[in-house]
Amino acid sequence: MIRVTIEGRNSVSGETLAETRHLSPGESVVFGREPGSGGVTILGNGVSRRHFELSTDAQGVMIADLGSTNGTELGGMPLGSARIESGTSVTASDWTITLFYEEVDESTVAAGGPQSRYITPSASEGGGLAPDIPARGTIDVSEVHSGGRHVSEIAYCAIGAGIGSFVWIDHLRCYGVHEDDILTIGPEEIPYATYARYCANSQIPDHERLRSNSASTPDNIWGFPGYALRESLTTGNPRYAFQVFGEPTLAESYTPRAGRVFRSFDREMKRINWPRMFRKGLVQALRKTSDGRYAIYWRAPRDAAPEDQRNQVTLARIVHVSTGYPATRFVDDFQDFLGRHPEKRPLVANAYEPHEHIYQQIEATGQPVNIMVRGRGIVASRILQRLSEARARNPNIVILHSIRSPIRAQQGAKFGWARRPVRGHVELQPFNWPKASWGGDIRVRYERADAQERGRMLSQLGGTTTAERSDWIAIAERGGEEGWYRPIFGSVKLISVKGEKLGIDIRTPDGFDQSFEADYLIDCTGLVADLSRSLFLADLLNTYELPQNHAWRERDGTWQAGPRTGLQVSNAFEIEALRNGSGRVYAAGQVTAGGPYLAVDSFLGLQYAALRAVDDIADRRLTRMRPIGPFRSAVQWLRWCAGATP
Amino acid sequence: MLPTLRGRIETRLFLILFVGLPVTFLYALAVGGLPLDTRLLLVLLGVLLALFIVGVILDPVYILIQKLRWDRDWPFAYQFFFSIIEFVIVLALASLGWIPWLDAFLFQQGEVIRIAIFHFAWVFLIGFLLLLGPLAVLFVRWRYKGGRFGRL
Repeated sequence: MIRVTIEGRNSVSGETLAETRHLSPGESVVFGREPGSGGVTILGNGVSRRHFELSTDAQGVMIADLGSTNGTELGGMPLGSARIESGTSVTASDWTITLFYEEVDESTVAAGGPQSRYITPSASEGGGLAPDIPARGTIDVSEVHSGGRHVSEIAYCAIGAGIGSFVWIDHLRCYGVHEDDILTIGPEEIPYATYARYCANSQIPDHERLRSNSASTPDNIWGFPGYALRESLTTGNPRYAFQVFGEPTLAESYTPRAGRVFRSFDREMKRINWPRMFRKGLVQALRKTSDGRYAIYWRAPRDAAPEDQRNQVTLARIVHVSTGYPATRFVDDFQDFLGRHPEKRPLVANAYEPHEHIYQQIEATGQPVNIMVRGRGIVASRILQRLSEARARNPNIVILHSIRSPIRAQQGAKFGWARRPVRGHVELQPFNWPKASWGGDIRVRYERADAQERGRMLSQLGGTTTAERSDWIAIAERGGEEGWYRPIFGSVKLISVKGEKLGIDIRTPDGFDQSFEADYLIDCTGLVADLSRSLFLADLLNTYELPQNHAWRERDGTWQAGPRTGLQVSNAFEIEALRNGSGRVYAAGQVTAGGPYLAVDSFLGLQYAALRAVDDIADRRLTRMRPIGPFRSAVQWLRWCAGATP
Repeated sequence: MLPTLRGRIETRLFLILFVGLPVTFLYALAVGGLPLDTRLLLVLLGVLLALFIVGVILDPVYILIQKLRWDRDWPFAYQFFFSIIEFVIVLALASLGWIPWLDAFLFQQGEVIRIAIFHFAWVFLIGFLLLLGPLAVLFVRWRYKGGRFGRL
């Protein structure tokens, strides 16, 4: 079964369209003014009654013009019919419609599992590839120089300029690479800007603690001193260091305060001279060059370059791609509701988008307020904590916690002889993967496994969990006793408007329908990792036909490949399909999901990926950089302690 | 800590060689003075060897315990506790005469046991403090390798 996500915008009326369809091979959807049953209605001047059609077969998705008066365009050319990639945009009159598709498991569709829609815009400024970027895979260097763009040359270039880029560059610097040999291109000056925004939105202010361990230190390649020791030294309170000694069995796992982590970034940014290496801009495309390098096409923002110099190209020998999560997710019922009732937008929020107004309103009213929280992960825990704090100002707040199905004590995930503990219908785990995924036997086993075994381990060890924090457990237990916290089991069927409130219909696990009323709804179901949501990655995937990892699912007793996940990389995090002479492209973070390491999406995971990549460059003697041994490592560490440049 | 079996043995060997041996020499000098009391030194080296062997025999048991833990980790508190247990086992075996290279009679003397305890305390505490992080300063890949040395 293929899930097609349709997003459109009318450039004249500003009207938008967002729908999801599930199609079996052979099924089709007609777009037009009067498309008939099951079709997608698009209104406007120049749209034919039946304008174009999307159809599916076993190979994928095709579109065809249905003899419309004004035609359908694909990539600026009139369309007859064509097979399309996910993320392709077509134009019908004033409408630009982008079609995403992926193969999905039939059973999850039937079970009414959450289906994704997206709130992050899919297209960049121009909506497509800049016209001067060649579509070919390899281009001549002279062509780059004569292309009219400002050209810069560098040895190492990190695309993204987020935490993944920062950690990689930090390793390079500690291995002795000069700051003048490194560039990083990204949309934000501060590498942790996006991360900090997600933290703030999901109610983790600077004084709250992240779900990360003491030795996961993106500002320090050795993990020593960890955040716990630093917090003990600066506060004079030895309890944090002792927490590390006892965790996770005799004490709750230590986690650092967000603000302290951000300040440690600031210090390291200064030490390695990040501002000098940073270029503000959006990377558009990457191409191999004839001399064993890569041309990185990018565009600077208005405030960073004069208008005629905004388009730039950087030639680099070693490239690192770490662009993070491409989008935030809205579940289907949520998106449908917004389509029907845009005026109710302030009442519903995804936990990762700004929604401070909800807390302000519920604290200010003093009236009874029902608020529904959806999801049971770490973000949900943090939102519940924030709501319980709000109850200090308005004791009439009642929390309805929507959870898909109950989990009993012996129903936690199982791996080998061990079972994940469960409390209050939530699986407990200090961090987002079992600890041995970062550096223990699970890391070794997972790295050695083939694709199917990796997929199996990933699905056994993954899943939604939260940390065992006494304050969070107390909220559910005290709230349950006092009647202001109520877990509700079942999948959400429909969100509607009931007078001034939201009506939420839920089907319980045993098949009954229940209706609830709530004043607000906060969805905590997460971020989306679909690579084709990023214009840059979509172009890279298309141009070089890069292989991707897959999620794996057990079906009829065998494990089968499901939807595509991250880019395939070697154990050293190299995108081998992009190798070009002595040129190399490495990756890190969420873009490598399903690859050689489980916890790619974590501080320590980024450090691991950076170390592997930098060691690989050094071992293969691709540049003058050499691997770091005990002596140089210790010298660099002393420089770190002194705050001296590497 | 997230040790694997090979990682445990490698780290153990490293600590015995680079912490245990130098500390033992210095301790023998500090207690026996100059010239070096070779009899004392040999007894302490014998204890060190017994500690290593008992440790390596127990390592698979620790790995078994780790496998029962969901996170498959080894808390520092466990490392602390079981290190002391290992020493207690060595002392007990020595006093029973079950360790061929250690004289059972010696290990029934309060004075010798006192010296052995202080010797162990130095070796153990320095090694334990290294495990808490400083070892990673020298060996940047060690913490990802389950306690093994060398390249990833």
